[in-house]
Amino acid sequence: MKIVSKYIAVFTLVLAFAACENFIGGDINADPNNPSDVPISAQLPAFQIALADVYGGAFSRFNCMLSQQVEGVARQWRSFNQYTGLTANRFDAAWTNVYENILNEIEIARRSALASDLNHYKGILDITEAFTLMMATDVWDDMPYTEALQGIDNTSPTFDSQESIYNSTMSMLDDAILSLNGAPGPVTPGSDDVFYGGNAQSWILAAQAIKARGLLHMKDYMGAMEAAQASFSSSADNLAFQYPDANAAGQWYRFNRDRTGDIEFHPTLRGIMLGLNDTMRLKEIDQIFITDHTYMVPDFLQELITYREMQFLIAECAFRNGNNAAAHEAYLNGIEASFARMGADGFADYVAQQEVDPGEGNLTLEDIMTQKYIAMFLQPETYSDYRRTNIPDLAPVSGSNVPVRWDYSADEYLFNSNLTEGSVDFFTDRVWWNR
Amino acid sequence: MKHLYLVFAMMLVCVSMAFAQRTISGTITDESGEILPFANVFVEGTTIGTTTDMDGNYSLKVPEGSTTLIVSYTGYTDQKLTIGDSNNIDVTMAEGVLLGDVVVTALGIERSEKALGYAVQEVKADDITRSGATNPVDALVGKASGVQVTRSSGSAGGGSRILIRGVTSMVGDNQPLIVIDGVRTNNDTNLSQASTAGTAASNRLMDLNPEDIESVNVLKGAAATALYGTAGATGVILITTKKGKRGSNNFSVNLTSSVGFDQTTQMIDLQDEFAQGWAFGYLGPETGASTSWGPRINDLEYSTDPSHPNAPTSANAWNPDGTYRWDPNGFLVPAGTGNGRSADIHNNVDNFFQTGTQINNSLAIEGGGETATFRLSLSDLRQDGVIPNEEYDRKTVKLASEIKPTDKLTIGSSANYTRSDYVRVQQGSNTSGLLLGMLRTPVSFDNTSGLGADAAVDDPLAYQFADLSQRNYRGGGGYDNPYWIINNALGFEEVDRVFGNLKGNYAFSKWANLSLNVGYDITSDRRKQTFEIGSRTNASGAVFIDEFATTVVDNNLILAGGDALSNDFNFNYLAGVNTFSYNAKQSNVDGRGLVFPGFLDISNATNLTSLSNEVRYRTLGFYGQIEGGWRSILFLTLSARQDYDSRLGDPTNFNLSETGFFYPSASASIVFSELFNNTNSLLSFGKLRASWAQVGAGPPNPFSTQSVFVSPSIGDGWGDDIFFPISGTSAFDQSSLLGNNNLTPELSTTTELGVDLRFFKDRVGIDATVYQTKSKDAILNASLAPTTGFTNVWLNSGEMTSRGIELTLNLIPVKTDKFMWNSQINFTKSESIVDKLAPGIERLFLAGFNAAGTYLVEGNQYGAIFGGAFLREDSGTDADTDLNIPGGAIVINDAGSPDPNADDFNPEYGYEAVDPVQRAIGNPNPDFIVGWNNSFSIGAFSANFLFDWRQGGDMWNGTAWALSFFGRSQLTADTRVEAPTPINGVLSDGTPNNIPIVRDHNYWTSSVGGFGAVGEQFVEDGGWIRLREAGISYRIPGTGWFKGGNIGVSGRNLWLHTSFDGIDPETSLTSTGNGQGFDYFNMPATRSIFVKLSLNL
Repeated sequence: MKIVSKYIAVFTLVLAFAACENFIGGDINADPNNPSDVPISAQLPAFQIALADVYGGAFSRFNCMLSQQVEGVARQWRSFNQYTGLTANRFDAAWTNVYENILNEIEIARRSALASDLNHYKGILDITEAFTLMMATDVWDDMPYTEALQGIDNTSPTFDSQESIYNSTMSMLDDAILSLNGAPGPVTPGSDDVFYGGNAQSWILAAQAIKARGLLHMKDYMGAMEAAQASFSSSADNLAFQYPDANAAGQWYRFNRDRTGDIEFHPTLRGIMLGLNDTMRLKEIDQIFITDHTYMVPDFLQELITYREMQFLIAECAFRNGNNAAAHEAYLNGIEASFARMGADGFADYVAQQEVDPGEGNLTLEDIMTQKYIAMFLQPETYSDYRRTNIPDLAPVSGSNVPVRWDYSADEYLFNSNLTEGSVDFFTDRVWWNR
Repeated sequence: MKHLYLVFAMMLVCVSMAFAQRTISGTITDESGEILPFANVFVEGTTIGTTTDMDGNYSLKVPEGSTTLIVSYTGYTDQKLTIGDSNNIDVTMAEGVLLGDVVVTALGIERSEKALGYAVQEVKADDITRSGATNPVDALVGKASGVQVTRSSGSAGGGSRILIRGVTSMVGDNQPLIVIDGVRTNNDTNLSQASTAGTAASNRLMDLNPEDIESVNVLKGAAATALYGTAGATGVILITTKKGKRGSNNFSVNLTSSVGFDQTTQMIDLQDEFAQGWAFGYLGPETGASTSWGPRINDLEYSTDPSHPNAPTSANAWNPDGTYRWDPNGFLVPAGTGNGRSADIHNNVDNFFQTGTQINNSLAIEGGGETATFRLSLSDLRQDGVIPNEEYDRKTVKLASEIKPTDKLTIGSSANYTRSDYVRVQQGSNTSGLLLGMLRTPVSFDNTSGLGADAAVDDPLAYQFADLSQRNYRGGGGYDNPYWIINNALGFEEVDRVFGNLKGNYAFSKWANLSLNVGYDITSDRRKQTFEIGSRTNASGAVFIDEFATTVVDNNLILAGGDALSNDFNFNYLAGVNTFSYNAKQSNVDGRGLVFPGFLDISNATNLTSLSNEVRYRTLGFYGQIEGGWRSILFLTLSARQDYDSRLGDPTNFNLSETGFFYPSASASIVFSELFNNTNSLLSFGKLRASWAQVGAGPPNPFSTQSVFVSPSIGDGWGDDIFFPISGTSAFDQSSLLGNNNLTPELSTTTELGVDLRFFKDRVGIDATVYQTKSKDAILNASLAPTTGFTNVWLNSGEMTSRGIELTLNLIPVKTDKFMWNSQINFTKSESIVDKLAPGIERLFLAGFNAAGTYLVEGNQYGAIFGGAFLREDSGTDADTDLNIPGGAIVINDAGSPDPNADDFNPEYGYEAVDPVQRAIGNPNPDFIVGWNNSFSIGAFSANFLFDWRQGGDMWNGTAWALSFFGRSQLTADTRVEAPTPINGVLSDGTPNNIPIVRDHNYWTSSVGGFGAVGEQFVEDGGWIRLREAGISYRIPGTGWFKGGNIGVSGRNLWLHTSFDGIDPETSLTSTGNGQGFDYFNMPATRSIFVKLSLNL
């Protein structure tokens, strides 16, 4: 009898415990409003558009302001333009976008891709990551990479050198090309890939283009030219995101709509273009920065890396390697592609001018970089080109130096113990490839 | 519950002594004739006594020479009876009014007040109902120490925030748990829009008809609330509702009707001297000019001549018929050049508001027999606000019934249904906010277009042109015309609420009384916010549908018992299980882009987005309490509760023990007056009490233990973000908030000491409490370096210390047969200092704006107002060690040149310089609060008044800040014409400022003016003294079937003294949220007068 009651007692306890578990446990504390897991196809558009948006947003605005394509004229942008307002907190949004909205998402997606052998996805992820890292390190130099993205397990990641980050991006791009040349795996990317609709060959071209940009920064002009020649053969190949309409409009349109009057077209770029009688392209881009601007439209084509950039890259590398014929051909291709992008007529008349096309033999680096500067209007890469070549020769808006990099984010200064406030002088601390 | 009476009555037994020489016996009953078992009967000046038996009979041997018998019964006034010749003394006990001996404690348990080792304070029904407040929370102001109530505004149907002992939680809800008849009840405030904009919002306790309240008990400290576990950490308001009384043929009907009138109280001091314009030049409404920096209005007159040199040239200045569009009198021109009719000064503010009305009718029918009771009540409240078209209607039905089929079994139920309907008006920081456009309107512009305020309420001509475009002072741009808002931007809200309980009680024996209380509370809150096409916030028109469905289920199973163990000792115990579940669902449909005007329905919208959200959690608690008493002198209570909280559970790897936390409490009291001779006439009662308790709390939000994916917004903060779906594609990214499955409960430990002294036969009573609560491991939203892949994580990291003093002074200054004066003073002082935030975080945002917001700041009081400050001499020096305003004089901006033509022209030359660091510029927490509540009865008349004094407590006057930019405040009218004077301060070289300036349009629109970086100059003392309640009433005598009644006149908020230059500083932009201390175009407060008639049949 005693044993029986003991069993009953134990049984009752077990039952009670189970009841408690059911009442408190299970899915009660699982968020019913947000998934804890999503397929890679639901993730991909988020960080791809985030990348296009930050590239055409913070990176385009700051870089093209520093390289004097656009000018901050009112409110905060006036102080940024004069370099005085460029405090660390101004770079919070870009920094957070890079790590939290892009790199961390790629990391999560890569885990799904590796777990299910989604080779084409993996290739896309590698290329996107390489592009993002390069975009970021080009303005921030050393950055957390190997120890980054570990959540609460490592709240103060150490900083990796730009050199090591560049090496990683190069091998990532090589890996990506291998992955994309192979079988896609059980799931093939499709319309979720907002850049190329899952087209592996297009991605391989983009990988070559990004590689070319990186090698150029590292002054490997031969390697860069080879990669560029293996990349885009027309503007149709460009790595770009097409914004649909005013409901999801391009960054510059949104900026002009919501911050009207803060930024305008820069007199430096205007002066250079007028000096070359570049009136046809000028009228497409030199307008008041309002929602009616005909280039900064709601359905903006946000290019990340382009055929025309590659052509100018080939022109520069060929020129540096003494191959003026190749340089000249690519130079003209680049200008023509730029006319097309801006919707300007009069390419033939324009290049007929001696100042624009002095002929194969008389072509100078300054010609190439000046035309690239114009053609790359609003492209963040302009700032790298300027820092590499000092073309065009910009007069500092204030003081005696144009900043050569960005400061780190204030959030990072606050919460990463490996970063000391005041450790960056953005007038003098050149990034590794620019030293 | 009857059983517990027995237990407590037993405790009060005075042991009969020997040497009895005469036996006196009798029956003790209450006024309704019901017998009172276990009443105490003893001989005055001795410890000789006994108790009545189950039939209310007693028999006591009294010593020779005894003269007086004292009869006491918990809840009734003691009776003194002279022992005469008769050996039979029957006694009728009257229900106690003041200092009753029984109080309702946690879980509704009635306990002897003597036994309590912690502070509990009761507010009686009369005090609630005579306040005239339709919101039970408002009725508590000043009536209990430790309680702070802040009404959000005078909007009809606006909510109020209540705090007990200040704040307890750093980021969670700090309002106390509301328990109605033993059931945890939803007092949520649901916000449809940003907390600083949108419309007024209710706190859901407003759904309870105050006439149904029998009593309110305030359980203040952790020991008092320990049995409620985690939910009681912020204090508990225990509300007991009225029930039918048992007895024979007890049947009564009560009809109560009241009519009330509301008016707005004070408003910010506005100027009426200067017209619309800039730099003393006139700019008409057609220019869209926002400011009132124009010429003196006395220097203007009207003209209707289009060829006048000052005639506006823009097309939108003219009607198709060639008349001036913006004013029927014509446009304004310099005096002497127009038609000779001087410019009118338009009062667009005071004339706008109307006298609000409240009509409140309630009917209660109650009855009871020997085995059953019931009470049915109905009420109907119709309130029209002081803002035209604002409405609040509430209908309630409540049925309370109880049956007692056998002596041992009681089954009862209370069921409430409430229907509330609101029509709401946009407020606060939004371009459709009522006061925002109204207060900014220049006095040269007439918002009614010549119609006058009464007609403009209904006549679209005031606010709309024939082409349906909007008529306002900024040429149709800027801010909505107030008359547009109350017609074209209204919010509609309908709430259905069912709440109540089902209760069973079975008394097996003295040692085992089993009760089950099943409680439910179901709320459906359906809203529709409309914006007609042309509204400034939604130019293409919008309809937002919001539905909130909240279900709360709260069950308690309790076994309790107890008895005297010997003559000296008694003991009782309680053990219980509680299950609680909360589920709130919100669904929202945003419809924008209306096809055509006049049809404000979601079907008329072209662009629809929707979302749904669910919040849910459950707790499971096991609790127990033991209490021992020695004589009536020493009492000790120990309690413990083990809670399991789903919010601590990891859904992927659930472990029950990780969700559990334990809290113990201990309290003791010693009634030292019992040790003295009972005849001590100075000290009639004296008690010391002490308690210690530890309380835990789960995360403030559920779903914090797991990282989730969200649909991201994309952007970098300069242009507006874009949202998925984009090009028809939806997407998710991992939330920037990292889930943390290592969360542990927040722990707070409270120590409390108190003393309760009563003198002169209870004519004077003092109850004092001091307490300290130390909270640690508060779960805060901590920041992470973005390179971790996340920006935030929930982390056990916060520490806070709260301490306070509470005093209650009860006085009966006069007590005669005909006149009685009861007076109570409640004093509350509490402060909560933030000791620690998450690593690397200096401050944590609660609510507000950039120039001034409320934050948690390390080392400062909770909710410090933080914002821009003037530069001080010590700013940035070694003496500048924290975020408070540094010492030294204000530094004047003397960089550059005052010459507009100079290269280094500094437009702010001679103004105060701005500190680059934001500072703690104010403390919204009052220094102390005093309520002084008085009631008088003179025969059939009674009167009452309540003064409410809040000392200190800063408010950021954001309205004044903004209006200084617009040149609308009286301050700017005075300063713009002052002689050039240097501002009090020092130049950058430390010498006294000698730069004379005029604080004109340039000054007030600079970075030290309105909308500038500095918030400091508009932090004002928000303290007050006010006559919160006052009234007189007459008791109508009954005859025959008419059992009497009451008629009275009373008022709320009749008089206010404050140094705050704005609306009544009892206001809260963020409604009942944690961010307090802001006025930014809040709705004004009201004063009210009521006439009330109550009849009993």
